[in-house]
Amino acid sequence: MRTSMRRSRSAATATIALASALALAACGAPDGSGGADSASGKVEGQVVFQTWNLKANFKDYFEGLIADFEQKYPDAKVKWVDQPAEGYPEKLSADAAGGTLPDVVNVSPDLAYPLAKAGMALDLEKSAGKYRGEYLDGAWKSNEMPGMKGVYAFPWYLNTGPMFYNKELFRQAGLDPAKPPTTYDQLFRDAKSMAEKSGRKMAMLASTPSIEDFGRYGVRLMNPQGTEFTFNEPKGVELLQHYKELYEAGALDSQALTAKAESAGRKFQQQAVAMNPGSALDLENFRKEAPSLYKNIGITDAVNNTGKANMYVQGLMVNAQSEVKPAAVAFAHFVTDKKNQMAFAKEVTIFPSTKGSLDDPYFTEQDGTDATRVRVASAKSLENAVNYTPVLLSDQMKTVLRNAVARAVQGKQSPKAALDGAVAECNRLLKTG
Amino acid sequence: MTAGHRERHGDRAERRRMPGRGRTPRWRLLLRYLLLLAVLALTVGPFLWQLSTSLKGPGEDIYRYPPSLIPGHLTFGNYAGVAEIIPVWDFALNSLKVAAANVLTNCAGAALAGYALARMRFRGRRTALVVFIMAMLVPVESIMIAQFVTMRELQLNNTLIGVLLPACIGAMNVLLMRNAFAGLPYEVEEAAFVDGANAWQRFVRIALPSVKGTLAVVAIFAFMGAWDDFLWPLIVLSDQSKFTLTVGLNFLHGTFADNQRLVAAGTVIAVLPLIVMFACLQRYFFRGVGEGAVKG
Repeated sequence: MRTSMRRSRSAATATIALASALALAACGAPDGSGGADSASGKVEGQVVFQTWNLKANFKDYFEGLIADFEQKYPDAKVKWVDQPAEGYPEKLSADAAGGTLPDVVNVSPDLAYPLAKAGMALDLEKSAGKYRGEYLDGAWKSNEMPGMKGVYAFPWYLNTGPMFYNKELFRQAGLDPAKPPTTYDQLFRDAKSMAEKSGRKMAMLASTPSIEDFGRYGVRLMNPQGTEFTFNEPKGVELLQHYKELYEAGALDSQALTAKAESAGRKFQQQAVAMNPGSALDLENFRKEAPSLYKNIGITDAVNNTGKANMYVQGLMVNAQSEVKPAAVAFAHFVTDKKNQMAFAKEVTIFPSTKGSLDDPYFTEQDGTDATRVRVASAKSLENAVNYTPVLLSDQMKTVLRNAVARAVQGKQSPKAALDGAVAECNRLLKTG
Repeated sequence: MTAGHRERHGDRAERRRMPGRGRTPRWRLLLRYLLLLAVLALTVGPFLWQLSTSLKGPGEDIYRYPPSLIPGHLTFGNYAGVAEIIPVWDFALNSLKVAAANVLTNCAGAALAGYALARMRFRGRRTALVVFIMAMLVPVESIMIAQFVTMRELQLNNTLIGVLLPACIGAMNVLLMRNAFAGLPYEVEEAAFVDGANAWQRFVRIALPSVKGTLAVVAIFAFMGAWDDFLWPLIVLSDQSKFTLTVGLNFLHGTFADNQRLVAAGTVIAVLPLIVMFACLQRYFFRGVGEGAVKG
């Protein structure tokens, strides 16, 4: 009994301490990063480097990388930790609250945002701006945070993906397997005809539209100042109306309302849906896990109306409270430089965010295999790709959007009303968050 | 003679079974078994699927519909593959340490606290009971960051003790033990009291041996809780060398592509100790569940 009482009391004090600690951190942010040109200095000390689930498969690559760095800067040491796939945002926020954030942290822009806002991320525009020219413009800018000046992470590897489709299902539905849809209008038409021909047995897509789909459809997602969401504009309503019709026609999988990327991929592997977005990596996966699908796989560009593909960006953030800032910045730059990103790209199908890397023959020349075809096509689409997902869109807001989309698709609410509600809710979360 | 003996034995068995058959008609018995089988398929099915996936060789469709449970090319290569990618035995050892310690602290702590709440007379006993019930209402996720900051203040972050501490005496277990002790007849202890036994002797010699069943339940709950926990160990630990099995197995989910066979093999490795533990303690387990329910 006594243990429990003591525990609850100390928890209460801790909560208060935490709240004030975060408040302090938030207040101190502008000054903290303001006077921070401590990034230039001698590269020495121990840098703790945290990756997001990369140790299991790329241990040798990273150990080589760290050895190279330590050779280049003999006074610096790098300690590498790796975190598993799940629970990463929780882990980061706990570490941020406890002051145990590593010096160099692997983040995506949406994970970097709360840390930058709390003053935990170093403004690299200020302290490492000289490296800016080395990176693709779009990639560098993807770590700009709305409402804040500066850039809060080095761009690291990029990913984008084509659309995979099942030629056999296309054939069965009387569609030309050589001509997959490339615009949303064609996609909707083909999907409906597939559902009709098969008597609602075959679905074209496994999931409802996500925020990237709104972006690719040409919907403006946020106002330029980044203060309000705008995906309820007429174009967004139009997209949702189309999806509603698809659902009614049976052109969406019956479990589309609750589908996540993973379950959608599984549906595609079970050959229950005909089209699914994927990445260059999935191809190898299909070959191993669904050989009978692999025989009939078709690859095409991701459907879009804007002419710009979607890309996912990973970055390396430098802890603003790091005691070894010069070494941390040097190391983050070292990992993301042209040579090392290129070497990483040869390990696994990712795309470097450095200028000129995508002109390498590795990304431009075909060798006749499907894998290379996907790689070359993806690299080409990256030239003008954008990260459609707004960094301000938290996981909670994504859920709000998904629920609104589900309501509209089921016909419980009109698409307009559903999106208006979602935008209002997201804006409220934006203000209070 | 042996034949006759067997016959007589058979007769008796037959007679004993007769009334049962008379009472329930055959179709109802059949229905009952069908229902049981359906529930069995529902609960065991996913596990069997994982097991079969983990034994499937490369080049087999694992997501085929309807699924096939018999692997075409039986292989144990996936299990070796798991051990190659992650130090799975180190993770398992860490998990075992935490789980074993959790069982000890929970059994000892919950028994002591439960006995005090059930048998001792002291001021604030009812309040204490309410505090325990309230403690169960607080969702763990909401206090996780506060717990982490506390562990950091104690400099126990990134240690296995830090993983153990918040769950070392569960409120639920204390209540279970309290109910078990409260269900024992008071007279026995009064007799011991008359014989001159003090509180400690009554606890150890009289009360504790009578609640072995509930202790087994507490042990299983504590073991499962510690073994399955994911979020807290993830947050409190940072070095891979200290990771527990559930956290470590998450590395099998590749960043770029999942190898379902490895994930399935990892899952089977993680579940195996629980099955073994349950098999060992099941005799006590069912007795324990009944014991607690009497005075529930």
